[in-house]
Amino acid sequence: MSYTDRDKILIKVQKPTRYTGGELNSVVKDPKTVDCRFGFCFPDTYEIAMSNLGLKILYHDLNERADTYCERVFAPWVDMEEEMRKNGIRLFALETGDEVTNFDILGFTLPYELAYSNVVNMLDLAGVPVFAADRTEKDPIVCGGGLCAYNAEPIADIFDFFMLGEGEESINLVTDEYIRWKKSGKKCKKDYLKAIAKLDGIYVPSFYDVEYNEDNTIKSIIPNEPEAKSVIRKTIMKDFDKAYAPETIIVPFGEVVHDRVMLELFRGCIRGCRFCEAGYAYRPTRERSAETLTELADKLLGCSGYDEISLSSLSTSDYTQLKQLTDNLLEFTEKKKIGLSLPSLRIDNFSMELMKKVQKVRKSGITFAPEAGTQRLRDVINKNISEENVLTSAKMLFEGGWTNVKLYFMIGLPTETDEDILGIADLSQKVLEEYFSIPKEERAKNINITTSTSSFIPKPFTAFQWAKQDSREDIIKKQDMLKAAITSRKIKYNWHDNRVSYLEGVFARGDRRLCKAVIAAVKNGCKFDSWDEQFRFGTWLETFKECGIDPNWYLRERSYDEVLPWDHISIGVSKEFFIRENEKAKCGETTPNCRQKCAGCGANQFGAGVCFE
Amino acid sequence: MQAAALINSGQVFVLSNYILKYARDERVKYISHLDFIRTFHRTVRRAGLEMSFSQGYNPHPIMTVAMPLSVGVTSGCEYMKIGFEGDYDDKEIKDRLNGALPEGFSILEVCKTEGKQHDFARLDRAVYLVEMEGNCDRFDENVFLANFELKIMKKSKSGEKESDIRPYIYDFSVLKRSPEKMLLKMCIAAGNSYNLKVESVKDAMEKYSDGFKSDFFCVHREKILAGNDELL
Repeated sequence: MSYTDRDKILIKVQKPTRYTGGELNSVVKDPKTVDCRFGFCFPDTYEIAMSNLGLKILYHDLNERADTYCERVFAPWVDMEEEMRKNGIRLFALETGDEVTNFDILGFTLPYELAYSNVVNMLDLAGVPVFAADRTEKDPIVCGGGLCAYNAEPIADIFDFFMLGEGEESINLVTDEYIRWKKSGKKCKKDYLKAIAKLDGIYVPSFYDVEYNEDNTIKSIIPNEPEAKSVIRKTIMKDFDKAYAPETIIVPFGEVVHDRVMLELFRGCIRGCRFCEAGYAYRPTRERSAETLTELADKLLGCSGYDEISLSSLSTSDYTQLKQLTDNLLEFTEKKKIGLSLPSLRIDNFSMELMKKVQKVRKSGITFAPEAGTQRLRDVINKNISEENVLTSAKMLFEGGWTNVKLYFMIGLPTETDEDILGIADLSQKVLEEYFSIPKEERAKNINITTSTSSFIPKPFTAFQWAKQDSREDIIKKQDMLKAAITSRKIKYNWHDNRVSYLEGVFARGDRRLCKAVIAAVKNGCKFDSWDEQFRFGTWLETFKECGIDPNWYLRERSYDEVLPWDHISIGVSKEFFIRENEKAKCGETTPNCRQKCAGCGANQFGAGVCFE
Repeated sequence: MQAAALINSGQVFVLSNYILKYARDERVKYISHLDFIRTFHRTVRRAGLEMSFSQGYNPHPIMTVAMPLSVGVTSGCEYMKIGFEGDYDDKEIKDRLNGALPEGFSILEVCKTEGKQHDFARLDRAVYLVEMEGNCDRFDENVFLANFELKIMKKSKSGEKESDIRPYIYDFSVLKRSPEKMLLKMCIAAGNSYNLKVESVKDAMEKYSDGFKSDFFCVHREKILAGNDELL
């Protein structure tokens, strides 16, 4: 029987297994035998972090190396943080419980803008200097990746470098270089950064000078080191079928958000919705074969004991081998009583059959994402779904016994009018009417429609990256309009907090000048901004003021010739294409998907995937 | 739970019930009861054993844990009963489960059981080792145990009420002590008829000793007993 000082804290906090590690399939190594101790940092709670697909892949990818020990490092919840600070315990890694202050590399995944405050807070809790410029050769190298890394300018001063694109290979290359540099005596940090700046997809922010015009817009972004490329292009796994995929998965003790095996069907999306950064950023679409996936599923289920498996992608129905894969999977999921979940599925005859097969007992909720209330606006955003699609699908579902339908929309989209807002209420009502059109004895009881609106946030690397974001007042007005227009008690209306969207919008298209505000906001108590009960909007506004920053300025419309903060980054989709798409949006002209007709976005430069099917 | 055979579309499934004795060490002491149940279900799947499920609208695996362990407590003696489809050798079950369990759990014994052969309802006490920090020089076990009654506020489902716990402390001794730390061993009531927590004993120690206060204590459950007997 034994205990440590940490036990005295753990007994006081919620969900202590967030902090103890030791889960099945977590990797155990002797840190003394490795050259590189890598802390894979996720700036949110354990439950969210452990649901992240990128972490699952890169953690095992790095741990395949004998010379590296990759451990998980997550943001402790506020109760734990308080106890840690009170007792002088620094941020620690889950596997060994060791403080990360002297790790070799801390790699943050940047999943959403509202996690930026947690990045700063975690570094502070680790006792690692927050500014890259203040860190010496003795401190860990701090790097970032993930979707937000494409425009991480608001936190650029914190990071030594970013990995742009898919990290399976990059993360190994930067680790190789690190070990080489470490073995040569770790003389000058800049030498390491220069060595990796030559690699594809590596962006070292300190190697670029940003100058500004008098009107506050950016004048230029210019490399200040010969090794720094003028444009940094993301990396992709060209042959996705052969790309590294872990055959093992950590099984958490407590329940996490996605507590199941996830099978990544493909990367990218052929659809080209004009607001969607993920859809463009992961281009070109590349699939994994049904055969590879079936084998992976078998291994992952076998080593974990999970009784649920989920297919993961941006649009499941676009997977070309869906029938073969689901046939394969159903063969053993039925036998072993394993649940198969199929998110982001388009409703048609095939999928109805499939859903009936996999959901014999429980009928879970079904989600539609028409995104806009009228056909005109759906054409503007290139969301290829018609009212008829939605209504026919809804009818099929109601006839099949489903009664729980969720409808997702965005408000604040470019060119939106009152008619588009009211169209959301109208479409929701029509879905409800489909239910009532079915004779009483043929439909299940208790219809339940949930209509949700999020607020449109123009994101970098989309056709709408120049658009104006609605002010908070506009959003509130539109939400109120919709509240009044939805009259049926069978339809529940949910809306996003306008303050959250506002802050997300500021950072999404922000620049380096925001960095001081992020750091100051954390000093003023901001963290866990994506958690309602922790979000301190008032503090954020005061902090912006204190730093002399007008956040509204970041929501304004940009012109095509303005230098954007992310202009030195390339996702492989050209700016000319985005301009074309934005102009087509203005006329309500749609663009066919990648399989129907190539729109010439530029992603074929990677020489892979759907561009060469 | 009865051993039975179900005939289902020509196949015969044999349902057999087993009692398992297992231990949980420091590495897994923060896993709550519900999380432990889920962890164990997955272990059984990984071990390639087939659990039997209850009949009904929402089938769940047939599994009962005797006296769920509190969070933060380690144990050298836990019991559960579980039903499997198929008839396995006791040792095979033990080996397969030990091969599939996360580090920190170990199956000590497995025994096929039927009916009331190993009745959990008979379990009525537990032996704990308790390491306690505080101003231990202010605690005298002889004075403490000489008390005719030890009345403390005890939490129950219906709220707090006063209870005399003295009759439910069957054995109590200090194995080791220093001014700031001591190691206690106690055998106290546990189970359905009267459940006494170590924390309640600690409360009584504080209330009935002049100035003694414990800042922290750490518990290990050594045994669960039926009178003086072990179930397995």
